Amino acid sequence: MTDNLVPIVSILSAALAVGFGAIGPALGEGRAVAAAMDAIARQPEAAGTLSRTLFVGLAMIETMAIYTLVIALLVLFANPFV
Amino acid sequence: MTIDWWTLGLQTVNLLILIWILARYLFRPVARIIAERQAATHAALDEARAAREEAEAARATAKTETAEIARIRAELLSRAQEDAKHERAHLLETARAEAEKARAETRAELARLREAQKEMVAEEAGALAADIAGRLVGRLPDTVKIDGFMDGLVGAVSELPEATRTGIGAAGPVSLRAARALTGDERTVLETRLADLLGRTVTLEIEEAPELIAGLELDARHAIVRNHFRADLDRIKSELANHD
Amino acid sequence: MDSPLTLETLFNIGPVPISAPVVVSWVIILALGLFAWLATRRLSLTPSKTQTVLELLATTVDGQIRDTMNRDPAPFRALIGTIFLFVLVANWTSLIPAVEPPTAHLETDAALALVVFVATIAYGIANRGIKGYLATFAEPSWVMIPLNLVEQITRTFSLIVRLFGNVMSGVFVVGIVLSLAGLFVPIPLMALDLLTGAVQAYIFAVLATVFIGAAAGETSGDAPSEKENKPS
Repeated sequence: MTDNLVPIVSILSAALAVGFGAIGPALGEGRAVAAAMDAIARQPEAAGTLSRTLFVGLAMIETMAIYTLVIALLVLFANPFV
Repeated sequence: MTIDWWTLGLQTVNLLILIWILARYLFRPVARIIAERQAATHAALDEARAAREEAEAARATAKTETAEIARIRAELLSRAQEDAKHERAHLLETARAEAEKARAETRAELARLREAQKEMVAEEAGALAADIAGRLVGRLPDTVKIDGFMDGLVGAVSELPEATRTGIGAAGPVSLRAARALTGDERTVLETRLADLLGRTVTLEIEEAPELIAGLELDARHAIVRNHFRADLDRIKSELANHD
Repeated sequence: MDSPLTLETLFNIGPVPISAPVVVSWVIILALGLFAWLATRRLSLTPSKTQTVLELLATTVDGQIRDTMNRDPAPFRALIGTIFLFVLVANWTSLIPAVEPPTAHLETDAALALVVFVATIAYGIANRGIKGYLATFAEPSWVMIPLNLVEQITRTFSLIVRLFGNVMSGVFVVGIVLSLAGLFVPIPLMALDLLTGAVQAYIFAVLATVFIGAAAGETSGDAPSEKENKPS
């Protein structure tokens, strides 16, 4: 059991990291999309600029989740304690 | 976690090579062609602008020419009007002058006519007066025609200048015109009175002249002594004619 | 499942181990170079379709650089444009079967970020001089020097990890779904990968522009260099 402790903790921590790390970007993306929809509803003629900016912003927000994914992968595949 | 440093280095070199290749073969030619097109567009725009400016200049020239033509026309018109005005004034002047002249002529004609008429009237009046005088005298006795005037004739002769008086009857008979033929008495009376006045005998050569109406007319050599109605009437008539 | 963090050496050229991303990069370089050479061999003032696309690309890159830096885009055009094109094409190589995008490995992203990092310093020094560039670390006051130094490193790492994570996760997810579900199921995910790849290429290029522009010193509004007043 103790031999397997580090992999078990690693997997758990990876899952936790991705799970919790996804919450923030998810909320942020939701807010961003809601705001963009609101803006497009107000100004349909600016929809092109808004959606382009929205995609870039979403990608930036998504990057936060990607960071946690990278951390999780590091923990899983490149764990320095294994 | 391991980083393959060889791969990192190779990828960096790859990337630099790609940057060089694309800069050399993609971005520089494309940017150049874009700049060329922009230059061409600018040139075309400049050309168009130049053409437009040229056209505008031509239009401005045309406008100024039109204005010049209009000005010349206006000038000609005004000059023609001026000339016409002058001409009209001149014509008016001439017409007025002619009218004036015609009026003056008419007036002169009128005056002349009136003069002639007056003369005629005077003539007629003279004739009438002579007629009247003749008739009136005709009612008087015949002696009156001579007697009444004998004193006047003698008086008039006596008033003649000395030179003239001496000339009377010096060379032959004195011609005397009388309203009627003198009787012998009357003739002698007259001859004696004249002889008294002149201091020498005078022979009279009597000529009957009924137009004298009444009176005598002595024809001296240098003077005619008139003492008769006709002369009086003539004088009155000429006075009347000259009066106005 | 293979770790996405490790690299297999395909073959060796002398002492140099050559891995798959390097080979794919070579192919990409060859393809791009050939395409560029063929496409720009005869350019004309009345553009063909290809030329129109290329001109649109160049104009867009110029516009982005001008918007971000407020200066003449000519010195930065090749760098930014190449980074954008390379990242885009590399991301989209995930469509080709049995080819992993080079950007799905840390080394390629690190090389890109390294180029951007060096370019940042080079343009900063070129535009401000060494003293002027070093002085930018003390802005707005000397207290910020450690923070600015750390920012230089962290933003480069952020650049690396953002691109790496996005592309790698896309490949990873497609691989997992492919191993679980079968042949046609990952197609929507691959389409998403296309979008993500394009967006990430755009973000990488924009961030590189922002970093270089900040270092080159238009936005700081301080110590005006002779290039700053150049009309764009």
